[in-house]
Amino acid sequence: MSRNTVISARNLVKDYGDVRALDGVSFEVLKGEVFGFIGPNGAGKTTTVRILTTLIPPSGGKAFVLGFNVVKNPVDVRCRIGYVQQQLSFEPFMTVRENLEVYGLLWGVNRQERRRRADFLAEIFGLRDVMERKALELSLGQRKRLQVAREFMHDMELLFLDEPTVGLDPIVKRTLLDFIREKAKRERLTVFFTTHIMSEAEYLCDRIAIIDKGKILACGTTEELKERFGVETILELVVQEGDGEIVKLLESIHGVKEVTQSNDSKSIRLAVVDPYSKTPEILSLLSKEGYHVTELRVKEPSLEDVFIRAVKGES
Amino acid sequence: MKRLIRLLIRDLKSSVGLSWHLLASQLIMPIVYIFIMGLTFANIIGEVTIGSAKVNYVQYLAIGVVFGQLMLSASYAGAMVFFDKRMGMFEQILAGPFRRWEYFSSKILSIILQGLFGSSIVILIASPILIGLNLTFKGIIYTIFSLIFASLFFGSLSLLISAYVKTDQSLNIVFNSILPPLTFISSIFYPLEVMPDPLKYIALINPLTYAADITRYGLFSITSTTIPYALPLLPTLSIITFTLAMHTAYKIRL
Repeated sequence: MSRNTVISARNLVKDYGDVRALDGVSFEVLKGEVFGFIGPNGAGKTTTVRILTTLIPPSGGKAFVLGFNVVKNPVDVRCRIGYVQQQLSFEPFMTVRENLEVYGLLWGVNRQERRRRADFLAEIFGLRDVMERKALELSLGQRKRLQVAREFMHDMELLFLDEPTVGLDPIVKRTLLDFIREKAKRERLTVFFTTHIMSEAEYLCDRIAIIDKGKILACGTTEELKERFGVETILELVVQEGDGEIVKLLESIHGVKEVTQSNDSKSIRLAVVDPYSKTPEILSLLSKEGYHVTELRVKEPSLEDVFIRAVKGES
Repeated sequence: MKRLIRLLIRDLKSSVGLSWHLLASQLIMPIVYIFIMGLTFANIIGEVTIGSAKVNYVQYLAIGVVFGQLMLSASYAGAMVFFDKRMGMFEQILAGPFRRWEYFSSKILSIILQGLFGSSIVILIASPILIGLNLTFKGIIYTIFSLIFASLFFGSLSLLISAYVKTDQSLNIVFNSILPPLTFISSIFYPLEVMPDPLKYIALINPLTYAADITRYGLFSITSTTIPYALPLLPTLSIITFTLAMHTAYKIRL
């Protein structure tokens, strides 16, 4: 484990009775990175977070957070982390301001700073107009915003976010992701982010681990994962006059896969391994054979494509 | 210690039992009991005589109502664990810089404070009735002793229930089936000496009986039949319930 390692999970196992929720999970998270932990529902994301935040002990394996063993030194871990849980969590009978300030008090933040941070976070998370309203009277989205904002009332070295964007509208969702990205960059805050929304992980995370049925299927940067799972870029071409021969012609090019043609023979869709070097070659061959290309669209592979392949076991 | 105080402040601020609406609604019953039922029944009953001691029925009842209110306040305070579980605050706090024992100790302290607060309000309401009472040091000590241990008992009982109960409905069912019978099968409204035998035996395992009798003994010198064993039994029952509650609460799964 290097000095730069913030989380080190080694062969983590968690059993709930006969059910094995985690089955030998190992990964490392480095200081200052936003680490995405993605997987379908029930994959083991929340169980992993709960072990790392010391809320539940593992049935096997070891985990170190900020250099501390999560089983032997739980308080040392918890003093240094922030945690936004998946379930809504708030003080129903307190106002929004009280929710923020009392949470700051729990973390030992002084009165003046509590007030300053509460006002700042209320502004960022769009809670300013409801500061004096009881949390019980807020909408679901406002409660979630309050829950996320509250976690920034205290300082931390590592932040666990367990599906924090569930229930947020797109604008607030983007505000939150930008806020986290900025905070991670500016303060070198390490973030452990779980989600099943691929676009969020792709937007926010430096590295991503894909988990399913309690096992890590892959781990790396988005580009590394795309490469590993061989997800091709899709080229969509429209030609002026198409025929059946064009498919054979395109299939003969090295690096071109899965050529499909529309019923009118004009629209063609092809998967290409290296689109930037292959596209000129494709266009030149088509032109040479008398096909006039009127439209060309490039559809980059998404993390979702990687995820689907990883979960289906198609590497 | 600082962490415990921070948790205690949070408990007191977030407590449903300390919301003004609930407090106001809780005060209606003591007023009805003391000033309507008490004064009316005093015309029928007159004085309660136990051994050589005599006391006006309203005064006798007022002390009982103080403990009835304390039972309600402490029970609501103990239910905070249930609300914390339901609102996600239990998990949130335990993912913070706190140990489980700190979380539960703050609850017990908060329960005792809320129990004392609730009963103090009733004492204040009942003060016109209690005017003329010869307050002695012994009386005050016995009263505080009973209030603290009765709070501890009912808070712990409520904490124990909260650890098991999973829905609002179950919590209401359990509270409504336990608290009213506890009130009536005790010496809150009438002395044990006038109760039918089977009920008397049940009342003898009810800490409310001991708490009210110890206070009456301290304030009015009424030596009820329970007094010889009430003094050791009340703290014993409270500590047993407290230990059980802590043991169970420690095992609450996340």
